[in-house]
Amino acid sequence: MKHFLPLAFLGAALTFSSCIQDEPLNAECDITGIDSLWLSNHKAMIIGDPIVTNTTVSVTLKKGSDRTQLDPKFYLTPGAQIFITGEGTPANGVVRDFTAPQLYTVRSEDGNWSKDYTVSFNYPRPISVCSFEHYALDASGKFYQWYEVDASDEQNPRRDYWATGNAGFAMSGMAQTPEGYPTTPNPLGVRGNCVCLRTSDTGAFGASTRMPIAAGNIFIGEFKTSQAMLFPRKATRMGLQLVGGEPVMLIGYYKYTPGEVFYDKNKEVVEGRRDKCDVYAVLYEVDPAKFVPLNGDDVLTSNRIVSVARFENPEEPKEWTKFELPFVMKEGKTFDRERMDNDGYAITVVASSSRDGQVFEGAIGSELFIDELEIVWK
Amino acid sequence: MKKIYTLIILLASFTSVFAQSGSHTDDTDENLLRAAVRGWHVRVGAGFNLGGTSPLPLPAEIRAIDGFNPGLHIALEGAMQKQFGATPWGIQLGVRLESKGMSTDATVKNYYMEAKEADGGEIKGAFTGHVKTNVNNRYLTFPVLGVYKINERWSVSAGPYLSWMFNGSFSGEAYGNEIKNELGESIGVDAYIRDQNPTGEKTEVTSATYDFSGNLRKFHYGVQVGGEFKAYKHLSAFVNLQWGLNGIFPSDFSSVTFSLYPVYGTLGFNYLF
Repeated sequence: MKHFLPLAFLGAALTFSSCIQDEPLNAECDITGIDSLWLSNHKAMIIGDPIVTNTTVSVTLKKGSDRTQLDPKFYLTPGAQIFITGEGTPANGVVRDFTAPQLYTVRSEDGNWSKDYTVSFNYPRPISVCSFEHYALDASGKFYQWYEVDASDEQNPRRDYWATGNAGFAMSGMAQTPEGYPTTPNPLGVRGNCVCLRTSDTGAFGASTRMPIAAGNIFIGEFKTSQAMLFPRKATRMGLQLVGGEPVMLIGYYKYTPGEVFYDKNKEVVEGRRDKCDVYAVLYEVDPAKFVPLNGDDVLTSNRIVSVARFENPEEPKEWTKFELPFVMKEGKTFDRERMDNDGYAITVVASSSRDGQVFEGAIGSELFIDELEIVWK
Repeated sequence: MKKIYTLIILLASFTSVFAQSGSHTDDTDENLLRAAVRGWHVRVGAGFNLGGTSPLPLPAEIRAIDGFNPGLHIALEGAMQKQFGATPWGIQLGVRLESKGMSTDATVKNYYMEAKEADGGEIKGAFTGHVKTNVNNRYLTFPVLGVYKINERWSVSAGPYLSWMFNGSFSGEAYGNEIKNELGESIGVDAYIRDQNPTGEKTEVTSATYDFSGNLRKFHYGVQVGGEFKAYKHLSAFVNLQWGLNGIFPSDFSSVTFSLYPVYGTLGFNYLF
């Protein structure tokens, strides 16, 4: 009896662990990046890092470089295969004409899942006037995203320069329609559409991940959705190498209504505190050979910053009100035109419905409307 | 800790009952005697429940069980047993107050999960990473067993049971472990969820807690088999296995996609009046 019982439980434990089945084949079908060898072979024509999202790959090319015969090679989920969409032939490293964006289909190792990617090679277009007229639903159809248009690039006009935190908010499951997200289009702009940023409640999921609110935001750069939970501030990668000269002024129009109740990062009510919006632009230095963007942690503090234009005392206008924010040069920094010609600068423009939204403090319901943003270059 | 105290108090009160029965006769003893005359023998027992609340078989999405803690789960039972004439056969009716639970830590790959929050938030997707689960359910259980006496010392029993869960908790955490680069900087975690399905937007998950306590089913049934060894006139040791036949969640509950069955062994002692 004494010896029998421990044996019985040992037996049960062994049975339990032997129940682990064979590992299933991968179900994912991602382009995880562009082959590093291919990138280094094409270093002379590429600016910055390729931007790889869940359904797109975009590469910025130096003006004048040839994109009619490129044979990009991609890293895929282990076991996955890539095809030219609509054709059954493997497409990794196949020469295609990227005058217009090209479609690829990736199929998972287990064969049950596939996903289409749009791959584009784009010439840069420096930021000038941003009217927020161009927006579309993202690939999942859940929320809006904004883009600029380069009319001179007829077959490939779309430039995904704007990013928002909407993809992060999608994880909270709190919005049932695209209009329920923190960043939404609005038809009542100064001219045409504008963008509306609204500080939103992230619900139980947000609370369990210690991100109880989400400020509405929009910025020039990339939102790294995969890192939104781990490093919510680092996930906002702010800035692109789209500098058209020395920036002197950030101009735009805004309306702002703060929410009623201000919450701190633990979602405790802070009596008497009033929410404020934030609008700023930052010019900073980058290494043209290795682009490292500033992010939510260091976008206003990095020693790479050359000049900043920030709305220091935004008010609460109910009607469209113009703001003009001069770029203020940091001590010891100068603007070097040669550096600019070598893609050695990046710029970002950021707007947020809660000034401390990056640390998850603000008033739910704060609403900032922004339109006709413009950077004046010298 | 609280559970341990409860057990000690209960055991102490049993002991005092036994002690009293030796010195003088009271109503309880008379009732016991009357029952014994009709062939019903009363017994009380205490034991530990050890086991798991688990999908059966383990789905392929579960890649490893990294941790298992059976916890301390007590079963207290009172039962009446009657032998059928001179045959080795008998019947046993019981009522048992017990808890069944455990904690596990598992590695999963492409595990579909769905969570609906009271405030309207809804998360669905394929999760790859680690899942901790804590189960602690308290039941009032009614076993109806057939008993077969092998000899004076050994007997075996088997039969169905019905359980009413009066208090239950099922909670846990989906989490990831930090991945560091050669400089020791955190560069990510080894867990992520893909929105809706494996093609959806990917978000790395550091930690997200869940609590499905409110969704647990109240009634359970299953089968029980066991063996008993009568060591002394009034004392026996027993071991049994309780195999749940309905999942702990209702079948329309979609947050956990596979049914979880309580399968527990009990190890303990009976006092035979």
